[in-house]
Amino acid sequence: MLSYLLEMFRQNSVGIPLITRKVVLYHTANKIAYIPPLTSLFAKIPILNLIVALIFWKPFFAVLFAPGLVCILIAILFIIWFERKVTARVQWRYGPLEVSRNVGGIIQPMADGMRYFFQEVIVHREAHKPYFLQFPLITFLPVLLPILVIPAGTIYAINTPYSILVAIALISLIPMIIVAIGWASNSKYAYVGSLREAMMYFSYEIVLMIAAMSMVIIYGSANAIEIVKEQSTIPGILLNPFAALAFFVAIAMATSRFPFEIPEADQEVVFGPFIEYTGIIFGVVMTLAYEKLYLLCMLFSILFLGGWNGPFIPPLGDLSPALWLFLKTIGLMMIFVFFRTFYARYRLDQALKIGWSKLMALAMVALITGLGLGAVNVMGWL
Amino acid sequence: MKKDVNAENIEFLSSGLIAPIKKWGAKWSLWAVHLVTSCCGVELAHAYASGYDAERWGSLNFGMMRQTNLIIVEGTITKKMARALRITWEQMPDPKFVILIGACGIEGGLFWNSYHITRPWKIIPIDYFVPGCPPTPEGLISAIRALQKKIESGEAKTTAKFRETDLAKLLGTEVGKERKPPKPPLKIAEKPEIKIEPKEVEWEFGKKLIEELKNKMPFAEIFAIDINRIYIKTESKFYEKVAELLESEGFDHVKSLNVIDLPHENKFVVECSVSSYSVEELMPVIVTFSVEIPRDKPRIPSLIRFWPSIDYQEREMHDFFGVWFEGNPWMGNKFLLAPEVETPLRKDFKLEEPSYVLER
Ligand code: SF4
Repeated sequence: MLSYLLEMFRQNSVGIPLITRKVVLYHTANKIAYIPPLTSLFAKIPILNLIVALIFWKPFFAVLFAPGLVCILIAILFIIWFERKVTARVQWRYGPLEVSRNVGGIIQPMADGMRYFFQEVIVHREAHKPYFLQFPLITFLPVLLPILVIPAGTIYAINTPYSILVAIALISLIPMIIVAIGWASNSKYAYVGSLREAMMYFSYEIVLMIAAMSMVIIYGSANAIEIVKEQSTIPGILLNPFAALAFFVAIAMATSRFPFEIPEADQEVVFGPFIEYTGIIFGVVMTLAYEKLYLLCMLFSILFLGGWNGPFIPPLGDLSPALWLFLKTIGLMMIFVFFRTFYARYRLDQALKIGWSKLMALAMVALITGLGLGAVNVMGWL
Repeated sequence: MKKDVNAENIEFLSSGLIAPIKKWGAKWSLWAVHLVTSCCGVELAHAYASGYDAERWGSLNFGMMRQTNLIIVEGTITKKMARALRITWEQMPDPKFVILIGACGIEGGLFWNSYHITRPWKIIPIDYFVPGCPPTPEGLISAIRALQKKIESGEAKTTAKFRETDLAKLLGTEVGKERKPPKPPLKIAEKPEIKIEPKEVEWEFGKKLIEELKNKMPFAEIFAIDINRIYIKTESKFYEKVAELLESEGFDHVKSLNVIDLPHENKFVVECSVSSYSVEELMPVIVTFSVEIPRDKPRIPSLIRFWPSIDYQEREMHDFFGVWFEGNPWMGNKFLLAPEVETPLRKDFKLEEPSYVLER
């Protein structure tokens, strides 16, 4: 049984030459000196080898490391620091610095995380207690499940022809959880905040879907791997810039970035749905918007920026495309958080109006362009 | 507040195996909640803005108390605000810290014997005081640095060193004996009078308006005191009647409601100014009508049924002078003041007398 599992894991494992192959130090006529591969260290030990094989098993690796949990964590820690730093720089300040002077205070989010981790968790009397504590943990479901279907080059868990659709459907579950969090908090501002979240949800979701669909029509497939293959010459953003723009604005709305930071506006509704959370649970819910930003930026780079296309780096093997995807995603996230420094906040009604008029019109143009280009593609002219 | 909360917080941070991590996290992440109560808040804004940038030390100014761990009390805390301060402090998850800036917070500063001031250190436990009126942003930042050092080392140290002098010698007084500074030369007029007299002005429309009003209110004394200003003196039983007539004339809102305390004459003067938003020629005109009521039985009908917006002002006047406006449904609830403060603007309200006692 175990050996069968081991075999299964090993057959579909991530190949990273840097750690799964021998690294030759020098090579003369009769002598070879090498560092033994890291993975083979445990190859003979009964349970450990299974664990190591499991870690490098592609589906597991995808969800847990790249592009999954670990990458999300790195992205969030970096982007929160970057957000504070870039805001500070624009305002002629230094931003977080003294915590680690020589690297520009980049470990500041870690200090904040530690502080949150050891702060008291308050559950107020009016809260619907079980749900109040449950929902922040449930948020990991819609965040990590899309990772199953979003591939990063050769690292993927499930290869399905519907991957983009499934990913978008799962990401759209996140606002449900935010609304549920607001309900479980059972407080005035949380209620207003979740109401705003629900309103925003209606204004961007359709645009987001139409923009994604117009790209799916052009490529003639909803499989991320094929979509990226199609973009090896022209990235999607040049094929259909309207869809890219609509998708871009919809992401800003969906993840409540400025200028659409409406549900959580801390000057108006003091973090809206998340107002009652303290300590580590607040840490979890606060990162929710960033996690969603990460996922949607990943989708954006797959649909419009050629995904993991990029020069292959041999020592990284399977990780190389994942790295390219990660870099593109991070770059996009940096653009999104940069908006905080120079945009004001729209009112809810203005945002709704934009969502249903201009943005919707843009999405329609994108769809028509997509249909046209899709027809051209089917004819084989592209 | 029997337990020493400050010590408890520090103890929590420095106990256990992972104490260094706990201390490190708390030290570099002192997020301050925005609780701007008075002018010292400007210095706080300074300290976090581009000139001084307290965010360099990981301190971030945040909008709420649930997700932060530092309260910066900015100067004056009134008796009413004290509740909010206490609630804010209680809502904040442990471990939490408090810095107090401004002379007002320490012993009241400018307002030390005001009728509505508290000492914040009696309400919540404070870690660091920053004296000054207002203290400089450097002062606030050095308090944050001092707090960081306190978290790290576990002991509170003052950052200022004072020269020692013998106060008793300097002031020429004995320890423990109460001394009062000389009384200021108060000049009390026997019968203070408020003179409101007619004034001759070139104001055609005003003359017409006054004639019209005089016809309607034969019982009142009506005259112009300036261009666009009309004054009506009447008796308290006609108070409502005047209001009703003015309202029907087109004066649709109340500009202000005043009470003047005349203890020597044992009366209050209630003065109400009205104007119009809806009739164009009445817009610049302000009509003030006043009545006198006895000081020992200060009751007067409310005008809320003519002008609903007068509600706040009546409640305010009730808070300050204890005048009861009959018919205002919210009368009697404390509106501006803390419940324990009674009629502070009456002239016979007793303030705390200045005095000092040298202590050892
Ligand atoms: S100490 Fe001075 S600056 Fe600060 S609140 Fe009091 S009066 Fe204002």
